[in-house]
Amino acid sequence: MAAASVLALSACAGGGGTESSGAGTESLRFGISNEPANLITGVDQGTVGNTMMTLIHRGLMSYDKEGKVIAGLAESVEMTDPITYTFKLRPNLTFHDGSPVTANNVKASLEYYANKANGSTLFVGLQDIKSVEVKDDHSGVIHLSGPNSAFLEYLAIPTAAIVPDKSLAKDIPNQIGAGPYTLKEHNRGVNLVLDKFDQYYAADQVKLPGIDMSFYSDGSARTNALLGGDVDIIDYVPWPDYDRVSGTSGMTLDAQSGPLQFIQFNVTKGPFADAKVRQAVAYALNRENAVEAAFQGHGEPLAGVKIPEDNPAYDPANTGLFGYDVSKAKALLAEAGYPDGFEAKMLTTSQYTFLQDTALSAQADLSAIGIKVTLDAPDWSTRVAKGNSGDYDLAVAGGAGIVADPTYIKGLVSGPNSFLRSFGYDNPALNAKLDEGLRATDDAAKKAAYNDALKIMQTDVPYAPINTREQAFAFNSKVSGFKNLPGFLSFYSGYSFADISLSE
Amino acid sequence: MTSFILRRAGMGAVLVFLVLTLIFSAIRLIPGDPVELLLSSGNTSASPEVVEQMREQLGLNGSLPVQYWNFLTGILTGDLGESIRTGDAVSESIAQRLPRTLELVIFATVISMLVGIPLGAWAAARGGFVDSAATVLTSLGVALPVYVLGTLLILVFSLTLGWLPAGGFTTWQQNPGRHFQLLILPAIALSLGFTAIIARMTRSAVLETMGQDWVRTATAFGHGPLKVFRRHVLRNSLTPVTTVIGLGFGTLLGSTVLVERVFNYPGLSSLLVESVSNRDYAVVQGIVIIIALLFILINIVVDIVYGLLDPRVRQ
Repeated sequence: MAAASVLALSACAGGGGTESSGAGTESLRFGISNEPANLITGVDQGTVGNTMMTLIHRGLMSYDKEGKVIAGLAESVEMTDPITYTFKLRPNLTFHDGSPVTANNVKASLEYYANKANGSTLFVGLQDIKSVEVKDDHSGVIHLSGPNSAFLEYLAIPTAAIVPDKSLAKDIPNQIGAGPYTLKEHNRGVNLVLDKFDQYYAADQVKLPGIDMSFYSDGSARTNALLGGDVDIIDYVPWPDYDRVSGTSGMTLDAQSGPLQFIQFNVTKGPFADAKVRQAVAYALNRENAVEAAFQGHGEPLAGVKIPEDNPAYDPANTGLFGYDVSKAKALLAEAGYPDGFEAKMLTTSQYTFLQDTALSAQADLSAIGIKVTLDAPDWSTRVAKGNSGDYDLAVAGGAGIVADPTYIKGLVSGPNSFLRSFGYDNPALNAKLDEGLRATDDAAKKAAYNDALKIMQTDVPYAPINTREQAFAFNSKVSGFKNLPGFLSFYSGYSFADISLSE
Repeated sequence: MTSFILRRAGMGAVLVFLVLTLIFSAIRLIPGDPVELLLSSGNTSASPEVVEQMREQLGLNGSLPVQYWNFLTGILTGDLGESIRTGDAVSESIAQRLPRTLELVIFATVISMLVGIPLGAWAAARGGFVDSAATVLTSLGVALPVYVLGTLLILVFSLTLGWLPAGGFTTWQQNPGRHFQLLILPAIALSLGFTAIIARMTRSAVLETMGQDWVRTATAFGHGPLKVFRRHVLRNSLTPVTTVIGLGFGTLLGSTVLVERVFNYPGLSSLLVESVSNRDYAVVQGIVIIIALLFILINIVVDIVYGLLDPRVRQ
């Protein structure tokens, strides 16, 4: 029986924020990489969707600048035992429409996200919620069906926002939150204007009176807007522009190593149904080359599984599951019965240069061991459709976990067929170990379970990792207080916008 | 003449119907599913049941003939449908975006005419070095891709000199000065190729007209060279130039996409490209129809003008 640990989170609002509390008069001009679609409650709508969520909404939990889970709308969340969490809301919380945030809203929102039928991204993380019990307006108890060592992290991701009951539907835009900024106007195709929300729980620390988010879907246009002085900060700096930005005086490039690049396999047919062939691919990849070719060096080779160093499951041995070893790759192919190689079709996309370049690099590596790869590079929509239906032998993909905890691996190796996973791949033994890791209530058990899981991945190769890539924000000298969050959490860096101040 | 116009309009109507059918089928024939895309743009994918549910909600589950019928009857009642991504009425999105692209294209066309016609006329009249220089310049203008030119303009006028913003859009109501500033670079980028075409057309038309008998006769009457050129050469040369301008204007409407992208200008073309990427069927259909209609309309007008000028065309 694991000792019931108590996790109490102090009610300090977001990290930093120690500068003078004088509010600025000038709005931040933010060049964002795309126009957000209407927000759908509970659904991960990509980079810009997450950024919008972090600005407008808050969940029980949030992230600080170092990527640590901190209190959000909750004043405290206590784990009374591994399947029971007691939460207490901050006093006087208000949604943008003026209605109060109550424990009933917490119950309704979390139960909505935990229901598969609602199509919530969070279903994977919150499906363990058995019930949410409301004690009074400001507190309640969350009962889980089993321990979940990443539960608090799931509560902190932007899509886990607590929303008014009327937003709990797929066809109502998810625009009313309790976050630091309110949506003032949306000029389609041009910009979004956000105003500071004065009843936000840490409003006295929010310095910006508002944010003007202009849409720059073209990477060079975005960089030019920053360098030309049209905007103060941009997200998703294109890799080829890193040097141009950091070489300009007064500009700061804040890059964090984050998402993964990897190769997916269609394991339902042909040579890649054989784990030996998949291993051969994993050993044949020249990861240094891929980082150079696709990201101009702005990434790290990844020959294993990425787990944050401060996570109990982290083990340095697991960063190098596959070396770059052409002769071993050839031997594995021969063992599998393909001494002379074979031909295969690799799916990528022409819409994103980095995915095409990653594919070219892998194509060259695979030809060195006798696998003659032809590239299939349609636009992104077609890439998604072909990925979902398994119309490929190999595919190049990029992805990130929705949480930093290694439970994100489940999303890459199990679940219904999707363009995010190797088509047809399912390994019950691996799934069981990953489950064990998530359910573990002490650090040693968690580490042991993930070590076992990674051993299975080393031989079964559900996907072949290539590298991690950097994600960067860039801003001019007027901006202070912003921090790009580490790892996968880079996509949630919008949380840090509540700490930005502008010098005038 | 009336029967000529009616015939031309009838052909236009048939063309519109063909375009409607073609765009309806084309966008659905290519792979990619709008709902899957809408629900899985992040690092998670939607479950098949939820995708199915949403398809039902958006009316994408009916059989193709039914969807086609709804589409055609919708058009006849002026209903272009709604965007899958934003829920906005397509007609409203077009009403918002089309004027921006029209403004850009008209501005670019005016620049092209103001520069192209005098340049072509001057080259033809002066010959020699001026002509050779103009020929080289116009070849360059036709050959230089608009995104290269756009990037160069940004590099020089925004990043280096800091005279103009690198891109974006502000409405006239918000800030007329900035609205105009933001229009200059994209209009110049868009106009270069068109200027070159107009200049070349003017040049060859002027050269051809200068060889005509009436020009020699006018000179023989003792009119000064400038008067002969203005009254008898240039005016008579402008008929083919007008045709080229009409057609070029129509082409520009559909081809501003690169300029809009480089300068982050939220016009109709950029909406079209985004919508194709997102498989936002109704928006793609609506925009293509409007562009096709405009193009066909311009063609009819050009034909009619031509018919008025040259009776032989009417047969």
